[in-house]
Amino acid sequence: MTNDHPLIQVKNLDLYFGAFHALRNVSVDFHAGELVGLVGDNGAGKTTLIRVLCGIHAPTSGEVFFDGRKVEKFHPKLAIDQGIETIQQSVGLCDNLSIARNFYLGREPVKRILGIPFLDFALMREKSARVIRQFGLRDNVSTDDEVERLSGGERQSVKIGRAVEFKNRVVIMDEPTNHLSVREREHVNELAVQLKEQGLLVIYITHDIFQVHKLADRIVIMENGAKVADASTDAMTAEELEEVIRQGGRVVEKRETA
Amino acid sequence: MKHLVRSQGIGAVIGVAVMLAVFTLLDFSGWWTVQTVSNVTQFASILAFVTMGEALVIMTKEIDLSVGSVYGLAGVSFITLEPPLGVSGSLLVALLIAALAGLVQGVAVVKGQLPSMIVTLGGLFTARGIIYVWTGGSVHNFSPDARAHPLTRLLGGELFGIEAATFWLIAIAALLGLLLWATPFGNRLLATGGGRESAESRGVRTERVKIVTFVLCSLLAGFAGILTLCNQPQTHVTLGENMELEAISAAVIGGCLLTGGRGSILGAILGALIVVSFRYELIALGAPSSWYITFVGVVLVAAVIFNQSLARRLGHSV
Repeated sequence: MTNDHPLIQVKNLDLYFGAFHALRNVSVDFHAGELVGLVGDNGAGKTTLIRVLCGIHAPTSGEVFFDGRKVEKFHPKLAIDQGIETIQQSVGLCDNLSIARNFYLGREPVKRILGIPFLDFALMREKSARVIRQFGLRDNVSTDDEVERLSGGERQSVKIGRAVEFKNRVVIMDEPTNHLSVREREHVNELAVQLKEQGLLVIYITHDIFQVHKLADRIVIMENGAKVADASTDAMTAEELEEVIRQGGRVVEKRETA
Repeated sequence: MKHLVRSQGIGAVIGVAVMLAVFTLLDFSGWWTVQTVSNVTQFASILAFVTMGEALVIMTKEIDLSVGSVYGLAGVSFITLEPPLGVSGSLLVALLIAALAGLVQGVAVVKGQLPSMIVTLGGLFTARGIIYVWTGGSVHNFSPDARAHPLTRLLGGELFGIEAATFWLIAIAALLGLLLWATPFGNRLLATGGGRESAESRGVRTERVKIVTFVLCSLLAGFAGILTLCNQPQTHVTLGENMELEAISAAVIGGCLLTGGRGSILGAILGALIVVSFRYELIALGAPSSWYITFVGVVLVAAVIFNQSLARRLGHSV
């Protein structure tokens, strides 16, 4: 299922915020077509690691390789251009804009009239509607409606649809099912698997080891800014992994995947 | 219509309708005279330029208190630099000075991560101080040649009894409306004000958007100053004083939410019309001119109450 050559390779990453050591010598590989669960308690460094991958923080030391090439500059725009999409619970959609405008924000399709780039409204509406409907947007919601009218699950649908539309290579889902109803949670989890099956790398961040164990090919556990376990879901059960988290990574030996 | 409601411009439309109805009933013969209508249109057009820029800045969730001083500074530059540079030269330099004021303030706000209210308050005092020092408090005039210059006529003359400023307003407001509503830049501007973090996560360079908006705002204020002086080519040190307060009031009356991300160009223009109309009608009704400011205050608060309740009814987070 996975390629030999990792899509994202993190090597000996350290990150300090002032005196605070947020990431401690983290090394981890991620492959295309893989769904990796990134698990750990609050403050374990999951989100910080992700923020490095999507260009928000630059590491203090260590290297990140994307598709074999070393990442020299860390900027959200560069990460997006390379096809790394982060789906966060609270960030990503502007409440004051319509679904179609949000869908294309930052990458708006234009029609040039006298050389001036005007938004291509017809294309924005038609394409965003087509993509998001397949991810479960209700029929009575128009893409002209503002996103603040959407439910939590529908917001996730917009973000996931956007990741698919822009042919992303990596989709990072940061606690994607928080505050969602049971049915919406199932729906979002199905979408994560769907994305993986389309050949994308999906990194799924959560507290809930049992939930992600069912979906993921591999689980990476972080604790106090360090990676404490990295095991395929075939190699370790959810209960075993939970024990690792409970013990703060001290008890169970790491069982690396091949 | 939907667009107008969503961008909160509907309050200003209703406001203008109610205001015109009341003024008509109260003072039909005084209000609907050629003189009043023409004065109100002229001054509302000038204030509308400043308000449109202010509205754009507010939509990015910032504020610009320096517009009145920038208006004055551009005007003073335009008149004082005319003898050495000629009308077109001084026009260009005056606009450059305005743009520079916006650029410096925008960069300070964004790169210094400073509150725009303080930075532009500094801008207000700095620019006003420069006007005092530069003019030494004296009044400057255009020479008869400069008054007759085609560019002066184009910016300050009139056509069919309508002041040039009104024509310029229609043209530039149409362009700004298109910019805001129908271009990627407009989409990113609204996104910057409506959800900066989300916009940045989409790769929008919100810092650049804000700087451009500050420059645009100062340019519009400067251009308004120039339009005023082309019409009456005489400077005084108080040119544009308190205009920032009128512009912010007009923007808010026109439906701009200080929480960012919502507002419209049409609303800004109507807001300016309401503010200026009140000034004129109160004077026409014989109220002491000092009452005008009180009335603007009352209208402002009424408008905010209306616009906020409209926003809540529409389910916007305010």
